[in-house]
Amino acid sequence: MSAWSFYISTLVVYFAVDLMSGISLNLQYGYAGVVNLAYIIFQAVGAYVAAATALGPSTGPASFQHYIFGANLPFPVPLLLAGLAGGALSAVVGVFSLRRMRRDYQGAVLLIVTLIALQVVTADVGLFNGSNGLTGVPQPLASGLGLGPLAYQWTYAAWALVLCAGLYLVVRRLSRSAWGRALRAMRDQEDAATAIGLNITVLRLQVFVIGGVIAGLSGGVLVEYIGAWSPGAWGYAESFVIFTAIFVGGLGNYRGVVLGVMLVPIIFLELPRFLPQVGYPGLMDSLEWVVIGLVWMACLLFRPRGLLPERRLVANRDTSDLGALTGRPRLARVLGRTLP
Amino acid sequence: MFDTLASSVAFGVVLASVIAIAAMGFTVQFGLTNVLNLSYGGVMTIGGFVAYLATSHGISAWYGLALGAVAGAIVTLLLGRGVFRVYARRGAKVFEMMMVTLGLGLVIDYSLQAISRNNIYQFTVLQSAPIKWGPIILTPTQVIVIAIGAVIFVALEALLRLTKMGKALRAMAADAALARACGIRTGWVINFTWLLSGALCGLAGVVYIINTQSVGYSTGELFLPLVIAAAILGGAGSPTGAVLAALLMGIVTQIVAAYGGSLYSTAAGFGILVVVLLSRPSAVLTKQATDELAL
Repeated sequence: MSAWSFYISTLVVYFAVDLMSGISLNLQYGYAGVVNLAYIIFQAVGAYVAAATALGPSTGPASFQHYIFGANLPFPVPLLLAGLAGGALSAVVGVFSLRRMRRDYQGAVLLIVTLIALQVVTADVGLFNGSNGLTGVPQPLASGLGLGPLAYQWTYAAWALVLCAGLYLVVRRLSRSAWGRALRAMRDQEDAATAIGLNITVLRLQVFVIGGVIAGLSGGVLVEYIGAWSPGAWGYAESFVIFTAIFVGGLGNYRGVVLGVMLVPIIFLELPRFLPQVGYPGLMDSLEWVVIGLVWMACLLFRPRGLLPERRLVANRDTSDLGALTGRPRLARVLGRTLP
Repeated sequence: MFDTLASSVAFGVVLASVIAIAAMGFTVQFGLTNVLNLSYGGVMTIGGFVAYLATSHGISAWYGLALGAVAGAIVTLLLGRGVFRVYARRGAKVFEMMMVTLGLGLVIDYSLQAISRNNIYQFTVLQSAPIKWGPIILTPTQVIVIAIGAVIFVALEALLRLTKMGKALRAMAADAALARACGIRTGWVINFTWLLSGALCGLAGVVYIINTQSVGYSTGELFLPLVIAAAILGGAGSPTGAVLAALLMGIVTQIVAAYGGSLYSTAAGFGILVVVLLSRPSAVLTKQATDELAL
C-alpha cells in the first residue's frame, strides 16, 4: 500500500507543477495570445537556479559536478530565486522576440531559442554541469520537519498544491482585472487595442515576464522534489506537453486548464506505465511522444477551441458594477476606466 | 593567423553549402505556400535515413543522394496534400498551420526514434585523402558538398528564371489569387512546389549526414534553426538570398569556432538570429505579410 501512496503523492506533485505551467501558458496564450514555445527554458532556468543555490558552492571543475551560482541557502530562498531567474530570462528573451512580427515567425523564433539554449547548456559544462546535469539537490527541510519518507512525500505534495492554488488565485485576479481585459482586447483585436491607447509591446512583455516567474517557480518546485535536473528533462518537446494540455482542455479559462493537465501529462503520460511493455526498451517512450503529437494535431483539427472552450463573455446586466464587464464592452470600458 | 582564417572560411563554405541546400528548399516552400514548416527537419532526417539504408545495402552513395531526394519529395507531397491542405481547408491561418507542423514534426521525429531504436548510425562514404590547397585542407567529401550546393543553386535559379514552371512559381509567390486569375493552374504549381522543396529537403538531409558522417533521429531537427534563420534572413521565396545568408552564417559560425572555441559557435548562430530579427523588420513585420495560406 505504501508504494501506491508514494506513487500517488508523486503524481500530485507532478500535477501541481504541470498545473502551474498550464496556468502560466494559459495566461500567456489563452488570455494574451502570446505564444511561448520557449516555455520550457524558463522552467529549466528556475530548476537550475533552485538546484545550484541549494546544493552549496561548486567545488571546482575537477569535482563531481560543476556549476555557477553555487550557494547553500535556506529553504524558501532558492525557490524565490528560481522565480526571479525565470522572470529575468523571460525579460531578456521577450525584449527581442516579442517585437511586432508575424505570429508564426515568433513561434519559430522561440522554438529556435529553446533548441539553442539546450545546445549551449549541454555543451558548456561550466554552466550547469553540461549533459550530466545537477544531482543530489537536497529536499527542503527534509531533516527539520522530522517526518518519515512517506509523510514527507505527502507534505511536499500538499505544499506544491498550496503554492499552485496561491498562484492560481493571483493569476485569476490578474486575468479578471482591467489588465486582464486589456490582454484579451490585445488578443482579439490588436489594432483596436492599440487605437484605444494600450501599449501592446509593454503588455506582451509584462505577460511574458509574469509567466516566466511562474515557470521558474514550477521548475524550482519540481527540482526540489526530484533532486536532479539535466538537459534530458527539458527537450523542446516538453513545452509541447503543456501546450497540448491547454489546447485539449480549452484556452482562456481555468476549468479547461485543469481538465487538460489531468488528461494529458497525468493520465496520458502515466497510463503507459501500467500497459504491458511492447518491443525493445524505450519503444514505449518514443511512441508516447508520437501519440502526443497526434493528439495535438487531432485537437487542432477537430476541436481547435478545446474540450471546454472559453465562454463567450457578455456584459453583466448589473451595470452598476463596471468591474464585472467582460466580453465586448464598449472600448472605453475595456480599460476599466474612462478614456480622457 | 591568416591560415586559420582561410581554413575556417573554407569550412564555413562547406557548412554554408549544407545550410544553403536546405534553406533553398525551405524558402521556396515558405515563399509559395506561406507554411512555416517546422516538420522540415524531420523530412531531412527521413532523407538521411533513406540514404543510410541504401548505402548500407551496398548501393552507391550517389544513388543514395538521389534516393534521399526522391524520398523527401514524396513525403513532402503526401504531407502537403494529405495534411496541410486538410487544415487549410478548415480555415487554418499561418499561425495555426505552424502549430500543426510542430505537432507533425514531433510525430515524424519520434517515429524515427522508434524505428531507429534511438541509435546514432555511422555514415562514412566517399572517404579518401584530403586535398591541400595552400593553408586550406578539405576532404574530397567536403569539396563534393560544395559542388552539390553550387550545382543546386544554379539549377534552381535557372528553373525559376528560364522555364515556364519557374515563371508560374514566381507569379504565385508574388500573388496567388492574381496568378490563378491569369490562368495559371495553381494546384499543379503547388504540387510542384511540394515536390521541388521536398527533393531539396531530402537531398539536404543526405548532404548533411555525408558531412557529419552520422545520422540519428534528431539530426534534422537540430539543424533546422540554422536553416530557418538563413531562410528568414535571405527573405522568404528568394533562393539567392538564402544562399547569401547561408554563406554569412556558415562562415561566421566557423570563424567563431576557430577563434573562440566550438562552444560559442552555437551562440554565434544565436547572435545571427538576433541580428536577423533586428535587421530585417521588413521581413518580420506584421503589416506586409498576409495571414492567408496559398494551398
